[in-house]
Amino acid sequence: MSSTLDKLRAILWRDLLTAIRHRSGFVVTLVGVFTELAAFYFLSRAIGPGFRPDGVEYFPFLLVGTGVYTFFVMSAQAFLSAVQEAQQTGTLEVLMTSSTAPTELVILSSVSAFTGNLVNLLVYLFAGVAVFRAAIHVNFFACVAVLTFSLVLALALGIAAATLQVAFQKGSALLWLFGSGLWFLSGTMFPIQTLPRPLELIARVIPLTYAVDGTRRALLEGQSVKAMAPTLAALAGFAVVLLPLALAGLSLSLRRARQNGTLSFY
Amino acid sequence: MLLGPNGSGKTTALKLISTLLLPDAGAVRVGGFDARRDAGEVRRQVGIAVATERSFFPRLSARENLEFFATLDEVPRPERAHRIQQVLCDTGLEEKADTLVMKFSSGMYQRLGIARALVKRPSALLLDEPTRSLDAATTAHFWTTIRALAAQQTTVLLATHNFAEATAVADRVLLLHRGQLLANRPLTVGESAEALRAFYFRTTGEIDETSIIGNL
Repeated sequence: MSSTLDKLRAILWRDLLTAIRHRSGFVVTLVGVFTELAAFYFLSRAIGPGFRPDGVEYFPFLLVGTGVYTFFVMSAQAFLSAVQEAQQTGTLEVLMTSSTAPTELVILSSVSAFTGNLVNLLVYLFAGVAVFRAAIHVNFFACVAVLTFSLVLALALGIAAATLQVAFQKGSALLWLFGSGLWFLSGTMFPIQTLPRPLELIARVIPLTYAVDGTRRALLEGQSVKAMAPTLAALAGFAVVLLPLALAGLSLSLRRARQNGTLSFY
Repeated sequence: MLLGPNGSGKTTALKLISTLLLPDAGAVRVGGFDARRDAGEVRRQVGIAVATERSFFPRLSARENLEFFATLDEVPRPERAHRIQQVLCDTGLEEKADTLVMKFSSGMYQRLGIARALVKRPSALLLDEPTRSLDAATTAHFWTTIRALAAQQTTVLLATHNFAEATAVADRVLLLHRGQLLANRPLTVGESAEALRAFYFRTTGEIDETSIIGNL
C-alpha cells in the first residue's frame, strides 16, 4: 500500500513539475474556459429566457452539459495523449519494463490526469457561477455521488481510449468520432427528448447522458440522493460493467502488442 | 555479450528477456522465473538500457527522471537519493544532475539510460549498444563500471557489434546472425579484438571488407 502511494506521489509530482514548467499551457486553458463560457452566455441571451430545457435556465443547462462532456472527453484525451506521447518518446517501453504492473501504472497515471481535469471542471463551473451568474441550487451529497460514478465512468472511457491506441494506433481518430457522437447524443446542448425516437433510445444507453442529467439535477435543481436513485443506479450499473471490461481490454491489447512487437508503434 | 550485425536479433533478444516482447515459441527464464507466466518477477530482476535516446520526461531534470523511475522500480525510499547520486557519478552525469533533460545531447541521454537501468540494482542488466554515442573517456569509465558490476554477481548482457567493446568487458560471447545463435563460447584471456573479429567472419561466413582493403 505504501509502495502504491509512493508511486502515486511520484506520478503526481512528475505531472505537476511538467505543468509548472509549461506555464503557457495553463494560460491557454484558462483563456479557453472564459471564451467558451462567454460564447454560451451570449448564446443563451440571444435565445432568450423563454427557453427553459428541463425547467432550468439555458445558460446553467449549457454550463453543466458542456462542463461534464468536456471532463469526460478530456479525461479520455489525457489517457490517449499519455500513451501516444509515451510511444513517441519511447517511455512506454521503459515503463513496461519497470517493477510496476502495467495495469497499476495506468490506474495511477489516471489519478493525475483526473486531478487536472477535475480542477478544470471546477474552475469552469465556478467561473460560470461567479462571473456569468449562473443560477444553481446544490445538493452536496447528490453531487458527490454523481461525481464519484462519473469519475469511474470517465476512467473506463480513458482506459478504453488507451486500449484503442495500443491496439490500433488510431486512438485520436476514434476518440474524435466517439466524442462527436457523445456531444450530439448525450444531452450536452439540448434535452435528449427533442431527438427522434430511435436516437433518443440510443442516447438512453450512453453513460454520459446519465452523468450530464445527474449533475444537472444535483447541481441546478438540488435534488436529493433518494430522488436521484434511478439515475445513480444506472451510473453504478454502467460503472460496474464498463470498468472491468476496459481493464480487461487494456490488458489484452498490451499482451497482443508485446506478442506482435507493436508496443511502441504509433 | 551478444555480438551480431544489424538485424541479427540482438535487440529482439533483449526485449524478449525484459518481457517487452513475448516469445512465439520456446521460453525465456530469468532467475528461475518464466517471462510469460511471471512477467512481474522477471521485471524486478531485469534492468534494461535501450538504444532509444529520448525515453525520458523532457521537462524533468536527470535526477527527477531517475527519482521517478526508481520509485516505479520500487527502490526503497531511504536508499533512493544515495543510489541516484551513485549512478549519476558512475555515468559521469553528476554535474548535469539538475539540468532538464530536454537540454541533453545524444551521449548524455545514453548515459542517463544506463543510469536508469543501474539504479534498481538489477540481478540481470541488459544493455543495447550502450557506448554508441559515448566519448572515449566515458566509454572507458563505463567499461570499468560494467566489470565492477559483473564482479558483484550481476549478470550483464550487452548487445553490440563493436569487437573492441566485446573484448574489453565480456567473458562470454554469443554470436547471433539472422536470428540464429551461431556460437556461444567464453572469451580466452587476452583475446584481442582482431582475433574476435576473425572468429566472427569465419563463423558467419560474411566477407571482411576491411581485411580485403588491407591486403590490397
